[in-house]
Amino acid sequence: MLGSTNKIGKYYVYSSTLISAFVVFLIFIILLLNSWEAISTIGLDLISLSWNPAKGEFGIISMLYGTFVVTFIALVIAIPLGTFTAIFTSEILASKYRFVVKSVLELLAGIPSIIYGLIGIAFLSIWFQDLFDLQSGRTLFTAGILLSVMILPTIITLTDDAFHNIPEKYRETAKGLGLYNSEIIKEVLMPIARADVKSAILLAFGRALGETMAVMLVVGSIDKLPSPLLNWLSPGQTVTSKLGREIAETSFRSVHFSAMIFMGLVLFSIVLFLTVLAQNSSKKTERLYE
Amino acid sequence: MKNTYTLLALLVCFILTSCNKKQAINIAGSTSVLPIISVAAEEFRKTNPELNIIVNEGGSGVGVNQLGEGKLDIGMVSRDITQEEVVAYPMVNFNPISIGKDAVVPVVSSEIYNSGITSLTLEEIAKIYSGEFRNWNELGGPDKEILVIDKEASRGTRHVFMETVLGDKEAIAAGADLVLGSNNEEQTAIVQSDAAIGMLSNAWLNEDVKGLSIKMLDGTIIEPSLKNIIDNKFPITRDLLIVTNGKPTGAVKDFIEYLLSSEGQIIVEEAGYVRINQ
Repeated sequence: MLGSTNKIGKYYVYSSTLISAFVVFLIFIILLLNSWEAISTIGLDLISLSWNPAKGEFGIISMLYGTFVVTFIALVIAIPLGTFTAIFTSEILASKYRFVVKSVLELLAGIPSIIYGLIGIAFLSIWFQDLFDLQSGRTLFTAGILLSVMILPTIITLTDDAFHNIPEKYRETAKGLGLYNSEIIKEVLMPIARADVKSAILLAFGRALGETMAVMLVVGSIDKLPSPLLNWLSPGQTVTSKLGREIAETSFRSVHFSAMIFMGLVLFSIVLFLTVLAQNSSKKTERLYE
Repeated sequence: MKNTYTLLALLVCFILTSCNKKQAINIAGSTSVLPIISVAAEEFRKTNPELNIIVNEGGSGVGVNQLGEGKLDIGMVSRDITQEEVVAYPMVNFNPISIGKDAVVPVVSSEIYNSGITSLTLEEIAKIYSGEFRNWNELGGPDKEILVIDKEASRGTRHVFMETVLGDKEAIAAGADLVLGSNNEEQTAIVQSDAAIGMLSNAWLNEDVKGLSIKMLDGTIIEPSLKNIIDNKFPITRDLLIVTNGKPTGAVKDFIEYLLSSEGQIIVEEAGYVRINQ
């Protein structure tokens, strides 16, 4: 009896895993099939600057650039802020406050992205407009800042868990050896938690790449590279904001539609590539305490 | 066990409510036509409570595409249907019906309007959008860089505006700084800036978003007033359309008849547009 329940349980777990993997595979196939028309008719011209469906030009460079810039800004701000906050909540803050602080921070993750977008439009973009004396506060930079707040809870929660899960004996041993608190965190806990922190960052990275609504409202939505290229205080476009604004205007199965799906495919491939990369690199630093 | 009963009860409720499905009209598209249809839908439902009318925005392009794909009963469109769109949906017989008239008005931030720029020629507007004029002082205004606001490519307001100003409804505006979507979004951006120019449906003008008059070649200045739209004097006017696939029937036909009736046309006027059949 026990054996058969075990078997059922095993198959259930197996099939759940398979279904999840199959969904990812299916999404990839669907993206590939639907973007095939664009790949075959436009080909290398997809990697160009000009996007003008009326003339049959579908260059995605400016969208990719925008996505890269916005994500980069978000990560540069959120990674140090998030990890240090997590170190504070798990290692320094008294554990009776940890729960309160953590739940408040996790609330940030529960706010719908449209709310972030509205805050971005109503306040953030106006502040930046005045602060930097800009023509318009709808810029790549604004979108990046907004995104950094949005991915912060992901990084904090997962990094905090990573530190909190390290068994007490490591801290005690380190203390017994006469290390200062700062040394314990830096030399003992950090190396152990590194793999988990990495996956926290990866998850946050994925969210930043894929965020649509909030970015769409504040990014300015113009398919141009900023000039000069590093002037991130100018409007731009990301892949997701382009998709969000334009996908409903295209007719199904047209080249235009297909080119939009191609952008989705590129985004998907980037995330896939980075996930595989991160998985491989974390194999070497296996958790010490397991 | 208790949980199972609760779940079962919920399921029964769910099935019952979904069986009792009301007849529905699905409408989506132009945000210029939206204010008329959303009010009219509410009024129409007062006399037809068993009918659901679902109204969404998205822009004229969305109205045409979703009608073409059979997702809508009525598409709201504030421009002509393009040749490409007709070709893209060979099985669909687009049947446009005009329910009112509107002007697309070039608008500026109130700071610019109050500084004395209250009218421009079409050529000047074209030069702003193509990027030749970059600062308001080139047009006699304050020393401020122009924030040129463009709209998404398939928006009705943009088609009509670009057709008159740059001569091609799908012209590229090289001078554009921002690309936005609905009338609402455009209006917000213009209010938030002190040096913006954009394009809006006539009904969306207000104290902070001032409509420019057009200076004609012979020197006359034509305001975007209802009278000038009625007399066809204002150079950028258009019909507000609802589009069906073939001849409308049933509830859709009743709703369209309501829109064209004197009651429906009062809603058109109250939304700030011009009624048909003056």
